[in-house]
Amino acid sequence: MTDAPPGIDLNADIKLDFQTINLQEVPEAKEEIRDLLQENGLDLDEQVDIFVVCREHGRLVGCAGLDRDVIKDVAVDPSLRGTAVSLRLGSRVLALAADRGHADLFLYCRPEHVDWFRGWAFHPLVEVPGVMTLLENNPLNLPKYVERLSRERRPGKRIGAIVMNANPFTLGHRFLAEKAAENCDWLHLFVVREDAAQFPYADRFRLITEGLAGIANLTIHHGSKYIISRATFPGYFLKDRSMIEHSFSAIDLLMFREHIAPALGINCRYVGTEPFDATTNSYNTSMKHWLWDVASASPPIQTVVVERLIIDGLPVSASTVRALLAGENFAEIARLVPATTLEYLEKSFGPAREPASR
Amino acid sequence: MDIIKEAIAGTLESSDVLVKVLPSQDGSLTLHVQSEVIKQFGKQIRASVMQTLDALSVQAATVVVSDKGALDCIIRARVQAAVLRAAGAQEIDWSVL
Repeated sequence: MTDAPPGIDLNADIKLDFQTINLQEVPEAKEEIRDLLQENGLDLDEQVDIFVVCREHGRLVGCAGLDRDVIKDVAVDPSLRGTAVSLRLGSRVLALAADRGHADLFLYCRPEHVDWFRGWAFHPLVEVPGVMTLLENNPLNLPKYVERLSRERRPGKRIGAIVMNANPFTLGHRFLAEKAAENCDWLHLFVVREDAAQFPYADRFRLITEGLAGIANLTIHHGSKYIISRATFPGYFLKDRSMIEHSFSAIDLLMFREHIAPALGINCRYVGTEPFDATTNSYNTSMKHWLWDVASASPPIQTVVVERLIIDGLPVSASTVRALLAGENFAEIARLVPATTLEYLEKSFGPAREPASR
Repeated sequence: MDIIKEAIAGTLESSDVLVKVLPSQDGSLTLHVQSEVIKQFGKQIRASVMQTLDALSVQAATVVVSDKGALDCIIRARVQAAVLRAAGAQEIDWSVL
């Protein structure tokens, strides 16, 4: 539902129709929307299904895409910019998102349009100069998160960080964490929060905690929507791996450099070499660029690439474990994961046990 | 009233106000006001919002108000609507409003 504006409708003379479209159900609208976006210097994000569109006498003059709690692909015909059309469009998108359970939202736009979206009650968080800006519409969230993180600060010259998905946790993950912890005064490890992986977040977090027991200079942090999330780095979660070249890690890495790292005094970030997954590999390469090379008001962060643990001649990887799991090859899995992970996998995915009463 | 989900009321348009009510993370009542006329009317806006929350017995919530020059009665009406939606209210006790 959309609330009616109070008082006199100053737009009464402009005849506009608003509509919510699901591109899965109305694919013919896709080309129209793509054209309007292109006129406005934007590409249609193929991941966005829901659009609020605005038509003047049937002609498409405005659109705004919604992907769960992220607004993107917003365009308004130049003839209508500066009118209240944008605010009406925005109000409808916000109402739609709220109906679908999301009131706190992110928004992507080109940096030169940031002031337009301040009118939508969004404020900028991170900007990739000349390319795109990430905004959100709750000014309390990021500062609150940063304040909570900063309570976990530890003293030291070398404060490291790892961001880990661990789908599931392997001996390779443990090796990386051990090497990083040896190399730092303190290590902060963040677990990717999104439940887009095969193993649910709660299980991944628990296996990481169990698998890293014994490392004294380590804090394991719950992930958040500000670290490798669908909002900051949607490309990471794409099912279609051929879209890899278009996945854009800059927003996520700049968020890390400008907001997360300063809260904890992090000055180095550890990653393992990535022989298998092209998205992660290109992310690691981008890391050096955005965390170190580019000029920023925020201190540079050193990227340390650690060679993967090799077992039986092959780098240990979670994707290998998942493939072995599909074949129920627990004997092979046992060589690649700690006992805690093996126990979990056998319990959750192993052959059904014999009934006790026989 | 217990705030059980995220909800909004109002629009982004001139003379209106957008009110967002969210469940509290830490049991507190937190209010953030954004307004083009924050210097002239910030105090009144805060007072109207807090009085309305109090009349609806909201003790724990996060409330974000984005004002575009709305009259006091509009602010109160939008806060009421957002709270009722965020509380999932099925029956409304009009006497407290």
